[in-house]
Amino acid sequence: MGGRRGRDRAEVHLLAGAYVLNAVSAPDQARFERHLAGCEQCRLEVRGFGETAARLGASQAVRPRPELRDQALRTAARTRQLPPGPRLRAGWAQSDSAQAGAGPARARWRRPGRGPWPQLVAAGVAAVVLAVAAAAGVTAMRDEHRISVDQASGHELAAVLSAPDVVMLTAKVTGGGKAAVLMSHHMRALVFAVAGLPPLPAARGYELWLIGPSGSRPQGMLPAGQARPMMVAGLADGDQVGVTVEPRGGSAQPTTRPVLLMPLDR
Amino acid sequence: MAGSEQAHWPGPAGGAGADPELALLVSRIARGDQRAYEQFYDRAAGPVLGLVLSVLRDLAQSEEVMQEVLLEAWRTASRYDPARGSAMSWLMTLAHRRAVDRVRSEQRAADREQRATSAQVDYDDVIEAVESALDRERVRRCLDALTDLQRESVTLAYYGGYSYSEVARLLGVPPGTVKTRMRDGLIRLRDCLGAQ
Repeated sequence: MGGRRGRDRAEVHLLAGAYVLNAVSAPDQARFERHLAGCEQCRLEVRGFGETAARLGASQAVRPRPELRDQALRTAARTRQLPPGPRLRAGWAQSDSAQAGAGPARARWRRPGRGPWPQLVAAGVAAVVLAVAAAAGVTAMRDEHRISVDQASGHELAAVLSAPDVVMLTAKVTGGGKAAVLMSHHMRALVFAVAGLPPLPAARGYELWLIGPSGSRPQGMLPAGQARPMMVAGLADGDQVGVTVEPRGGSAQPTTRPVLLMPLDR
Repeated sequence: MAGSEQAHWPGPAGGAGADPELALLVSRIARGDQRAYEQFYDRAAGPVLGLVLSVLRDLAQSEEVMQEVLLEAWRTASRYDPARGSAMSWLMTLAHRRAVDRVRSEQRAADREQRATSAQVDYDDVIEAVESALDRERVRRCLDALTDLQRESVTLAYYGGYSYSEVARLLGVPPGTVKTRMRDGLIRLRDCLGAQ
């Protein structure tokens, strides 16, 4: 009996290729997705095959007629988007087909936190941010971090963190504290994390900047807890990351000498 | 060649996997950013149309499906999860599934036998039309490195839209063999494309 179950598992595993190529029957698809839920190895394999298939697909690229562009943009502008929701645990072919159908197909969605994927994503992001913190010599950031990576920023963070060219920089903050940056040049974006900054009077706060040859661009106030990683996009050549002390509501331009200035060398 | 360049799509440099900016665009689209959607369209439309066309063969139908896929990407951008793969693989999955759904619902068996006999020729034609010579060469070289049965199993399914049992009938081999060849073909392709 155990041998037969073992053979069944091995046999269903072999479906991974056909599954990614959309070449399986509906019963096989359901069977494989049940198997995927409990097979981390299979999920990794499916992900890798998905990238491979995308290469086969993108290599076929042809230029569409230019008039289709306006039509597509106009249609999108008057089409309502789905709100962020829980993600299905299996390959996205299935989750997205549930969304793309006529109705919302609610029965197919898992509640947040039930499937393995949301936790994996959250845990993955938290783990990398924690690694950043550790590299910067930052301690006592653990729980704040896990909580602070909300779904929206986690989405963008994960995109930067998973970029093939991501690099990490760390620096000390004048007056105390350490900062870390994870940056993708290709995406022109970075994730900024800092901890151990001295507390400020209630009327003042730390403001994050991109400081470049053409001036300073405000990137928002660091949250008072200081542990929350921040997403910064739109990097330009010659930019540095800076932090200054400003009135709590923020300033349009730095009004004090930066406590942190990190060159983002290329 | 100069004359044909006009008709071809530049495509993302370095192939589908090497376009992390696309993921950032998708996350902006999820917030309703129409400027991001324009940039997304400019990168995505060519690969989507090319893949759909390789499955459907009919330009008018393929354009229609391309528009559906790109609209679906707009609608469901908030559900894209970078932890599950690149934005291009998400997009190509949407495109391939739509194309396959269309071909399976509309094509009669007789048409499909006809398409099968022309699959190799058309595949070569289309691949010739890709502007990104490097990526085209890589994909071709890696496909060439497969055994015939692996290559036919993968390309008939992916470019032809056939199920593995249909591929088995076309090639006259047991379904289990095709299933296995699809998987080890993809393993070899993955390693080959990843290594270059």
